[in-house]
Amino acid sequence: MRLPEFIYHEPENLQEATNLISEFNGRYGIIAGGTDLMVKMKQRLQNSQYLISLDRIPALKTIKEKADNIIIGSMNTLDDIVNSEIIKEKLPCLKQAAWEVGSPLLRSVATIGGNICLNTRCRFYNQSYFWRSSRETCCKAGGHVCHVTNQEDACYSTFVADTVPALIAYDASIKLVGVDKTRKLSLADFYTGDGRMPNQILKGSNEILTEIEIPIPKDDIRSVYHKFRVRESIDFPLVGVAVMMKGIEEKHCQDARVVFTGVGSAPVEAKLAREKIIGQQLTPDLILEVATMAVSELHPVKTDLMSPNYKRGIAQVLVEKALRDVGGVNNGKDD
Amino acid sequence: MEKTINLTVNGETRSIAVDVNQTLLEVLREDLGLTGTKKGCNQGECGACTVLMDGKPVSSCLVLAVKADGKTVMTIEGVAKDGSLHPIQETFNQKGAIQCGFCTPGMILTTKNLLDKNPNPSLGEIKEAISGNICRCTGYVQIIEAITSLAKEKNARGGV
Repeated sequence: MRLPEFIYHEPENLQEATNLISEFNGRYGIIAGGTDLMVKMKQRLQNSQYLISLDRIPALKTIKEKADNIIIGSMNTLDDIVNSEIIKEKLPCLKQAAWEVGSPLLRSVATIGGNICLNTRCRFYNQSYFWRSSRETCCKAGGHVCHVTNQEDACYSTFVADTVPALIAYDASIKLVGVDKTRKLSLADFYTGDGRMPNQILKGSNEILTEIEIPIPKDDIRSVYHKFRVRESIDFPLVGVAVMMKGIEEKHCQDARVVFTGVGSAPVEAKLAREKIIGQQLTPDLILEVATMAVSELHPVKTDLMSPNYKRGIAQVLVEKALRDVGGVNNGKDD
Repeated sequence: MEKTINLTVNGETRSIAVDVNQTLLEVLREDLGLTGTKKGCNQGECGACTVLMDGKPVSSCLVLAVKADGKTVMTIEGVAKDGSLHPIQETFNQKGAIQCGFCTPGMILTTKNLLDKNPNPSLGEIKEAISGNICRCTGYVQIIEAITSLAKEKNARGGV
């Protein structure tokens, strides 16, 4: 399948880019790396009259330390993230998550901004036009029915970006630039939870994601990202989890974050699990309890080939393993 | 909508008028006649369309041709020099790392990128590097053997 026709623009600065999105309101698509967008356009899931490329805006390609923060431009490729010395040293969990995305061929083109803005996925939506034409158009593709749940006007497509749980665990915020205003918001607030319009940009805010700001973690913070997928080499996560813990060397955990991808229409933070773990000393029993609690906060829907129960089981294993890894607790078994 | 792009393909500078909705794969195969680059899944999963763009392996079916403007592209046709096969191609032949051959152009370019960056890759690094290139015939054993023996030879020659 070839790409549909469109008019292509390559603005050379942000002002030019925001002017274009305001002029083409609702009729444009933004292309960063394009690894996800190209497939969606070939499948006729996105038919934008105009395509605006952010390739020629150098300001979006920086990675730097500024005061107590690390600033990452949205157009850095995932390869840039994996190979950046600053990120390797200060944000190992982000490096790990970026490395887990797709295959090396995709990471050399796909960007971190694209991963953050990644649209949600579903087995009834991410299919060719021919495949989809055999049944009524689903809610996410512009119809009224959800083929997963048989509900009307509801969409449970699943959020599957790998880097986002790591970024939320690091308390990242993002900068969104519109034609006449710039705003900064916490990354967790960027997501709507609505499968049809899973983030504010896809909801039509006419903004461009320009940078990600991450407070440099203190020395006593440890974090890890674990991902489970069918084909180790390429697939989106069936379940992914980032776990961050603070102060574990002092025996009692001072803060913790457990953030999932692949289990809802937005990244899911296990808040009860967080409360449970703060102030406690990590033991094998506590790990089991916290993982069980974290999983009780998940409500996956069968938007891929795995059943919700299977996903919960995998999530339990991943959280236990992640907690053992960050806490240095051995369960006496080999993983 | 048409746009003229300038790019270096296999060492030769080319100026080509392309439709903006053409992928790099389509331009290489249909406009430049470089059919060594294969069209497999056409959605970035199989790696048959791998080319090196500014030295990095990319799936050319997912790259708009206009995005290759100003870039240097190497396809499988640019690997052999003066009519003789590159050592990677020779070794793939000798080790039986080719069966139907459809994945081979991508596999060779990915291998070239790996060995240029890292002349002494571990087994894990080899598997990671070729993880985006799917082969349905060989089961990868001979491919990995070929890459391992290339790395050994390269080291014996002092990394050249």
